[in-house]
Amino acid sequence: MDSSRLVVFAPVDNTARVHAVVRRLSDAIALGLLADGEQLPSEADLAGHLGVSTVTLREALMALRQQGLIETRRGRGGGSFVRTPARPFDLDGRLRPLAAEELRDLGDHYAAIAGAAARLAAMRSLPGDVERLRRSLAELSAAGGGARTCRLDGRLHLEVAAASQSVRLTREEIRLQADIGPLIWTVHDHPRWRGRARREHAALVEAVGRGEDALARDLAESHVACAVEHLIERRLSL
Amino acid sequence: MPSEPPAIGAAAARVHATLDGVFATVERVRDASARCLAGARATGREPVAGDLAALRPLLSAHLGALVSGTGFIAAPGMLADAAWYLEWWQTGPSGDPARFLPDLDPENSALYDYTGWEWFTGPAGGAERTVCGPYVDYFCSDGYVLTLSAPVRVGGVFAGVAAADVYARTFENAIVPALREIPAPAFVVNAPGRVMASNTASWTPGAAYRGGRGFETRPCGDLPLSVVTAGQSASARPRAKATSRSCWE
Repeated sequence: MDSSRLVVFAPVDNTARVHAVVRRLSDAIALGLLADGEQLPSEADLAGHLGVSTVTLREALMALRQQGLIETRRGRGGGSFVRTPARPFDLDGRLRPLAAEELRDLGDHYAAIAGAAARLAAMRSLPGDVERLRRSLAELSAAGGGARTCRLDGRLHLEVAAASQSVRLTREEIRLQADIGPLIWTVHDHPRWRGRARREHAALVEAVGRGEDALARDLAESHVACAVEHLIERRLSL
Repeated sequence: MPSEPPAIGAAAARVHATLDGVFATVERVRDASARCLAGARATGREPVAGDLAALRPLLSAHLGALVSGTGFIAAPGMLADAAWYLEWWQTGPSGDPARFLPDLDPENSALYDYTGWEWFTGPAGGAERTVCGPYVDYFCSDGYVLTLSAPVRVGGVFAGVAAADVYARTFENAIVPALREIPAPAFVVNAPGRVMASNTASWTPGAAYRGGRGFETRPCGDLPLSVVTAGQSASARPRAKATSRSCWE
């Protein structure tokens, strides 16, 4: 191989992946999606779930240890355990590194996936699927805010995606929830927007239940777009 | 009344035979699970999760060309040391059997409660044979699957579910050759009306069949599934209320 080829095919920098793993796990810890004292899966399992090499994962765990977010114990009964920090989810800290354009683009991608999934869900849902969505909606309405609300919000959108009957769209929904979900849920869980998010969830489930595919798509898209608009407003005020 | 083309009966028989083979696995897992649990009780103690480790050789042995995952799912509260528990094995990315270890802690997962899935509610409600799906299984296999399940009872009391997963594509490959012999648009639907396999692009796997004029349905033996054939007057594709136009129109 000549030298220019060697450069082209050199291993891609690992830092971006390490950073993505750190961000994902620290978001989950800050939001309470991973509970204080909870044991993380083994390194091999976790690397497999996240689709990264064990080397990447180890570097990420090291960074999380340095931030005091996990604690690793050796020997029998050992492993990595979550340490919930004293500070809650730092939305501004998460927004600061993102340009408005990046937030807008993330929102575009998520709205496209969520909208397409909602449209197909409306076309293909059978009564059992709609019942499942209604159950999740009721649980979400009864949740009092905080981590549990975030988890149920994520689950409702995951169930809408699964009702599309598309494995690919469902996987993409999961991936995007990992990237931007915590930011959106923070908006949805804000006392000022909570009522609105709730009405949007109810309207989306109803549209899917009635088989109104175009309406379901529009609702799912605007549900994401409105939240992202608030995020961009906030980012620009920092 | 014209007589039914023999190919329709043959397709229904093919569906029945294919799933019968999977149910044979489910029933072996059911019996072995019941023996594990009853064995613990016979020694005067409540069963614990560790008792189910005895199933592992059997579960691994039944993974193969048709079955991609199989195991026992406990009724909540059945085991003395675990409120929620699955002893579930599936074919991993490497092709080797891999144990599925979900997060079943209500405190940190929104997906811990598996009792809402049809593969659980069917057997819990007393159905001896449940066919669930195809559905997007984000909980366990991360694929488009059918789950076949049966109740496990100990001393006549419901103790959990024995189940096996079959990828929708595996089922389709087994059934489509028989459907193609039918000289009309034809597809297999599950009890709620989800299309499972089809000989026409107008009715793809995953589409919702909601009945209608001009369709003939034929049950697949004692399974809650049917072969649906479209006559001349049947609508050409799934009915949507809305705006979606079909191709070429």
